[in-house]
Amino acid sequence: MEIKNLTVASKEDKKLILSNISFDIEEKSIYILIGPNGSGKSTLAYSLMGVPRFQIVSGQIIFKGKDITNLSMDKRAKMGLTLAFQEPAYFEGITVSNFLKANKKNISHTEIKKVLSLVGLEAEEFLDRTMDQHLSGGERKRIELASVIIMKPKLMILDEPDSGLDVIIYREFYNILENIKQETKASILLITHRGELGLVANQATFLNHGQVIYSGNFKQVMRRYCQTTSRKKVCPHAK
Amino acid sequence: MPNKLPKQFITSAKKCNLDTALMQQAGIPHVYVESHRILSVQKNPDLRLSVTSSAEGIHLKLVVKKGAKIKKPIFLCFGVLGQKEKQIILPEIILEEGAEAKILAHCTFPQAKNVLHQMDAHIKLGKNSKLIYRENHYHGESFGAEVLANFDIQIGVAATFENEFVLDQGSVGKLKINLETRLAQDAFCFINSKVIGKGKKDKIEISDKVSLLEENARSLVRLRGAVMNGGSMFFKGETEAFAKNNRGHIDCQEIIVGHSLAQSIPIILVKHPEARITHEASVGKVNQKQLETLMAHGLSEKEAIDFIIRGVIK
Repeated sequence: MEIKNLTVASKEDKKLILSNISFDIEEKSIYILIGPNGSGKSTLAYSLMGVPRFQIVSGQIIFKGKDITNLSMDKRAKMGLTLAFQEPAYFEGITVSNFLKANKKNISHTEIKKVLSLVGLEAEEFLDRTMDQHLSGGERKRIELASVIIMKPKLMILDEPDSGLDVIIYREFYNILENIKQETKASILLITHRGELGLVANQATFLNHGQVIYSGNFKQVMRRYCQTTSRKKVCPHAK
Repeated sequence: MPNKLPKQFITSAKKCNLDTALMQQAGIPHVYVESHRILSVQKNPDLRLSVTSSAEGIHLKLVVKKGAKIKKPIFLCFGVLGQKEKQIILPEIILEEGAEAKILAHCTFPQAKNVLHQMDAHIKLGKNSKLIYRENHYHGESFGAEVLANFDIQIGVAATFENEFVLDQGSVGKLKINLETRLAQDAFCFINSKVIGKGKKDKIEISDKVSLLEENARSLVRLRGAVMNGGSMFFKGETEAFAKNNRGHIDCQEIIVGHSLAQSIPIILVKHPEARITHEASVGKVNQKQLETLMAHGLSEKEAIDFIIRGVIK
């Protein structure tokens, strides 16, 4: 994916959120987007996916050689681009099984089982459960991840998949990400606060106030990030 | 009388996910009526069943005998295959003391352009009896049906009544349901309606009234509905509590898509200090987050809305 001089505004109040963003995501790579709260990371993720709440003011998004800047979300998804949201939605009355089959009606039970196991869930325990408040936050995040893996995408955007997870689950999540990388061969754009996840990354971009502060390899980006924000938790990894 | 179910009845029953093989099974108790013609009646030793057709309409009297527990469902199928007709059904359903039964009713008007289906049902449940009454409708695709249904239900001591009305395939046309239930001591009822209106000619009005008359009577009234493309839906859920330990809940969720209209009015009346009735309602557009999640999975907006509504209705 090539992101070229992308400027994005909120559709509701026309306020500019992102200015002149540019970077490229290579095939089969993990790309980290890091930045403090409110820096525009999620807006960038939603804009790349085509979420209609945001308006592309100028610039281009090129995916698999095609300009997708004006394509609808579902058309982008059909091309192999997908997004796992930071706060997965509840779906009253929908079982995990039906949710996973929403756009893959003919998917086999074996395949579903394999994908759930990839995110650390037992199929037998979860397939008949409904996607509502009975699932914990961590379980919903894993199911959301499973649902994007099932699509066999070319590029998956994971918006803070590690947020709200406790330390133990978080460590497990690191392994999950490795598994996904190995199994899917897809590119991953990972939005995170946690520098540790960057250890699996190839390239990164540091975003602040809606602008790219620095892009490059992960360690260089983290160094700049730490100099700018002095975040103790993530900075040891920048050494 | 042999089990003669017209093809169109079977097709629409399949649309509504009914077990059509069971509907046609030899010996399964049933009453099948097209317009004002009685097509087929199957009795059962545990039932007293009479069906007659007169100028007033179809008179159906179904009595489940004292203590009888009928395991297989009783099928009632009322249809109109013509485009312009009027059908009047007058059922009286009685469960005697300790009786248990499950009635699966299917009403179908597949070609309706100007079809009026009117029903005045009287249901009486004896002491300790249990009735599951599920009614599935299919009104064709032309918005040409008008259904006026009145239910008068009396639930005896420690009896249970579970009712489900489903109209989620095809068009609705005009639908007006008026249900009144009175419960005696320790009785329970669950009134559950699921309706999807797809066009501007769909006008849905559902009024469910429950009166908890004696001690420990309990009720749950639930509506799950959706209206699209200019249709309208009006739901009135009313529960009255008159006695000690009455418990009731009204739960309404309506989704609107496009310039449609949805309205929900809960009415609660409590006349005993140890009774408690609650209600919850949500009326509004499809959840944006759900929509975006599904579209990020490759579903079009229309497919995503349909998926969400089916989930809510389920």
